[in-house]
Amino acid sequence: MDKRLIAGILIFGSLWGFSEVIIGSTLSNLGLPSGAMMTGFFAIFFLLISRLTFRQPGMQLGMGLIAATLRMFNPLMGCHICSAIAIMAEAMVFEIIWYYLSFDFEKHKNLTVQISLGIFTVYSLYVSGYIITQILTPVVDGTGFYFGNLMAILPKILSNGLLPAFIGGAITPAIIMLSKIDLTIKDRIYYPTTLITSTFCWITVVGSWLMVG
Amino acid sequence: MSTGKEKIIPILAIAVLLVGTFSTFYVHANKIDGEKDTITINNQKFTIKELLESVEFKTIELDERNISGLALDKLIIFSNVNCPSCHKYTIIADDSYQKTVNWEDMKKGILTDYKRTYFKDKAHAFWIYNVIEIEVI
Repeated sequence: MDKRLIAGILIFGSLWGFSEVIIGSTLSNLGLPSGAMMTGFFAIFFLLISRLTFRQPGMQLGMGLIAATLRMFNPLMGCHICSAIAIMAEAMVFEIIWYYLSFDFEKHKNLTVQISLGIFTVYSLYVSGYIITQILTPVVDGTGFYFGNLMAILPKILSNGLLPAFIGGAITPAIIMLSKIDLTIKDRIYYPTTLITSTFCWITVVGSWLMVG
Repeated sequence: MSTGKEKIIPILAIAVLLVGTFSTFYVHANKIDGEKDTITINNQKFTIKELLESVEFKTIELDERNISGLALDKLIIFSNVNCPSCHKYTIIADDSYQKTVNWEDMKKGILTDYKRTYFKDKAHAFWIYNVIEIEVI
């Protein structure tokens, strides 16, 4: 596998996990809709910018694995297993959607399509992440999954997806525009930067987790 | 890119927005207006004040903080459930959010005076706000 791609998976996955732990937990503690905001801003940003930059299907699943692993070491409050499952689910759903719907944005600058893609992608990520978490968390937790519980909250899940969908629709054109900026970095700078940034994310989160734990 | 994709993506976006909008109306239309100071357990209505005076308190440590509330297992015993360990319990919030737990979980859980459940060693998905009913199944 391309070394540059592996480094990309490492840095984007680490940054995603880091933002989930630090920013997501802070938003949650402030009583804000952290799940909606994290999916609407951060998850879609890291998933989309990496997809548009590397154009490599499968990369986002690797990023999700790294981000979910980092999320398990959350030193702050929050549901570790729920969030880790949601991150993996989001990465998986993104891969599926973009396998079928992605296209070359350099040729097509239709703003309506870009906004629509943002809305559909983020709504799908949020709703599927929420549903998969509701199914898997009780299973992992040992309580067991009850279909009736899921059916009862399905309308709420579908309703809650609106906020991240609107955020996603608003920021997707900006992410696409950002991805067009040529930021080609030479290997001798790219690899050390990737390594240092990823190491920083991991040391901060795992170090804090060890200190708190 | 095919023209088909350019057409289908806005349609998909409109579809999810419509699903979200209708779901929002549905959730608000079906929100259960439980009485603020009461909770239904095993089909019997209790006031929070009555429970606070009658059921044993318990403190559990969660996320580096101590939280006190009514012991859920004692609450079930107080509501005269026969053979508590033979049943499962569905905790229902006013927005229909619900989770089903077993007796062992109930022994580790509390219900606060602001009607929120917490469970020791369980995911936050089981921390339910605005509980209106505990159904015995």
